[in-house]
Amino acid sequence: MIVSIAWRNVWRNKVRSLVVIAAIALGLWGGIFSYAFMQGMTGQQTYSSIHTETGHLQLNSPKFLLNYDLHVNVANADEVQKEIATMPGVLGVSSSIQLTSIASTAYASAGTMVTGVDTANFRTVSELDKYLVKGDFLGRGRSNQVLIGQQLAEKLHAGIHSRLVFTLQSYSGEITYSAFKVVGIYKLHNSEFNERMVFVRKSDLQKIIGFPAGSASAINVLLDNDEATAVTEAELKNKFPELQVQSWQELSPMLQLMSGTIDQMSFIFVFIILLALAFGIVNTMLMAVMDRTRELGVLLCIGMNRAKVFRMIVLETIFLSFTGAVVGLLLSIVTVSYFGTRGIDLSLIADGINALGFSSHVYPKLDFGFYPKFAAMVIIISLFSSFFPARRATRLNPAEAVRQE
Amino acid sequence: MTVIELDDIYKTYTESVVPVHAVNGVSVGIDKGEFTAIVGPSGCGKTTLLNMIGGLDAPTKGKIRIEGEDISRLSDKQLVDFRLHNIGFVFQAYNLIPVLTVRENIRFIMELEHRDSKEMQQRVEYLLEKLDMKDKLNVRPKYLSGGQQQRVAVARALASHPKFVLADEPTANLDSHATEVLLELMATMNKEEEMTFIFSTHDQRVMDKARRIITLEDGKVVGDAKTGI
Repeated sequence: MIVSIAWRNVWRNKVRSLVVIAAIALGLWGGIFSYAFMQGMTGQQTYSSIHTETGHLQLNSPKFLLNYDLHVNVANADEVQKEIATMPGVLGVSSSIQLTSIASTAYASAGTMVTGVDTANFRTVSELDKYLVKGDFLGRGRSNQVLIGQQLAEKLHAGIHSRLVFTLQSYSGEITYSAFKVVGIYKLHNSEFNERMVFVRKSDLQKIIGFPAGSASAINVLLDNDEATAVTEAELKNKFPELQVQSWQELSPMLQLMSGTIDQMSFIFVFIILLALAFGIVNTMLMAVMDRTRELGVLLCIGMNRAKVFRMIVLETIFLSFTGAVVGLLLSIVTVSYFGTRGIDLSLIADGINALGFSSHVYPKLDFGFYPKFAAMVIIISLFSSFFPARRATRLNPAEAVRQE
Repeated sequence: MTVIELDDIYKTYTESVVPVHAVNGVSVGIDKGEFTAIVGPSGCGKTTLLNMIGGLDAPTKGKIRIEGEDISRLSDKQLVDFRLHNIGFVFQAYNLIPVLTVRENIRFIMELEHRDSKEMQQRVEYLLEKLDMKDKLNVRPKYLSGGQQQRVAVARALASHPKFVLADEPTANLDSHATEVLLELMATMNKEEEMTFIFSTHDQRVMDKARRIITLEDGKVVGDAKTGI
């Protein structure tokens, strides 16, 4: 009976209840959608980083990353690569030679990181070919092909078929110059990457700088799921104790930090919205209690105890909040799934967003782990909001309350 | 047998600047099955006296014993239970629960007492039959006339077979026919179920049916007479 009365009481003043429900629904939708938006942004950035830059794991000789010394390399890279390829959960393995250089055209020069890759293997760990905006990926044809990012192309005034001259340090320590022809231009969301990273065939680079055959600066590994990273990292460390094994989180600490921070900030943001809404709910329920002073007095007179009156007001508040929450949630599910498929085009502010390493086409997404947290938050806020009106109702003097107009 | 004993009852309200002495030394005994009207001019303390008998208000001084138990010694929770199981209230302004139908309003107190569903159903049907309102079973109060609402309010008060019914100006807003129907039902319950009725009223029609009339003035009993009915 109490449940039924509480539910019907919610709909006594339809306009007032609908305004509160709409406020809760829109507030929640705003919070959830912005949370999904942020998650989509960081999720895409993480995916892009793993699938185009680092893979899930990278192996190299200890201290290589300090100054990219060619002599600090994985001497038996081919064997290591083969062994890793047989491990469960490994989707792809690719070894590369990495060295810093200066790329020049007739117009300008720029510092770059040249990565020599084995084309076929590289494609098992990287989706860089999907981000080509001009030309083709490194092919089998003529030697000295190079793939550059759009920002670098703009900086050097280079296009497809342009010649870039790279100043490189050979394995023996001498400075060499070598000309490469641009065969493709890629564009990732990360403008810094686009400006700095260039890709050539490993065999070409090996020949030019005299890098020992069968060796590599780094070996990158792509796994079939992100969650397996820690386990596989431990296995690799165990298998190859002489090598430094790092996960994508260690290689891109800022990415992990941002992902975690945005996650927490979005969650706090939703909580603040709910807290603000709680005051609206408290106000509405206090008005409802004051409007019904005489009726509540009658209930107390005829034998309804104060605990039941308290429970009734709490239930009314919970019903009101949950109705708003359900509407807000449905609205969120619909809009997140719609924009999660179609994406939100932010090309108007693409430069700023790309400079931060984010894509300008965002696909919002919501983890299922969010829902229990969300439910807990709504319950806490509802209970918090119901306390004051319910306490006020139970403090009524029944004899005085029934005399109220 | 005296079931309600008021022993030198005083009630003073001190909320306003000047203390209001609503009841000044009332001592009255009411026997089981009485049909009593408390009458007197407005502000003479009728409602205050009823509220104190019903445990809604505590006397400033004096004792109220109901079936031998001093109710001023009961805790708030015990008073709620006491009211629930012993007293039926009828108010001047009907005070039905607007979100409940006629049937649900009448069942309400029995629901609070966790009565058997079949028993509740039978009781509702019996009372509505007596009140000639069987066709209004699923109607909400706002669709009823004032007289019909008061009939439902009386049915709610009587539904759980209370020992005492306290009615504060129950017929003040009713026409003759509605008053007649209500008084008839209450008289039946008084006779058949030995419920004790205490009314506060200005209404001559109620006084004409009462078997005892207690007259209050300035919070004091100035008259107490059996009517011989």
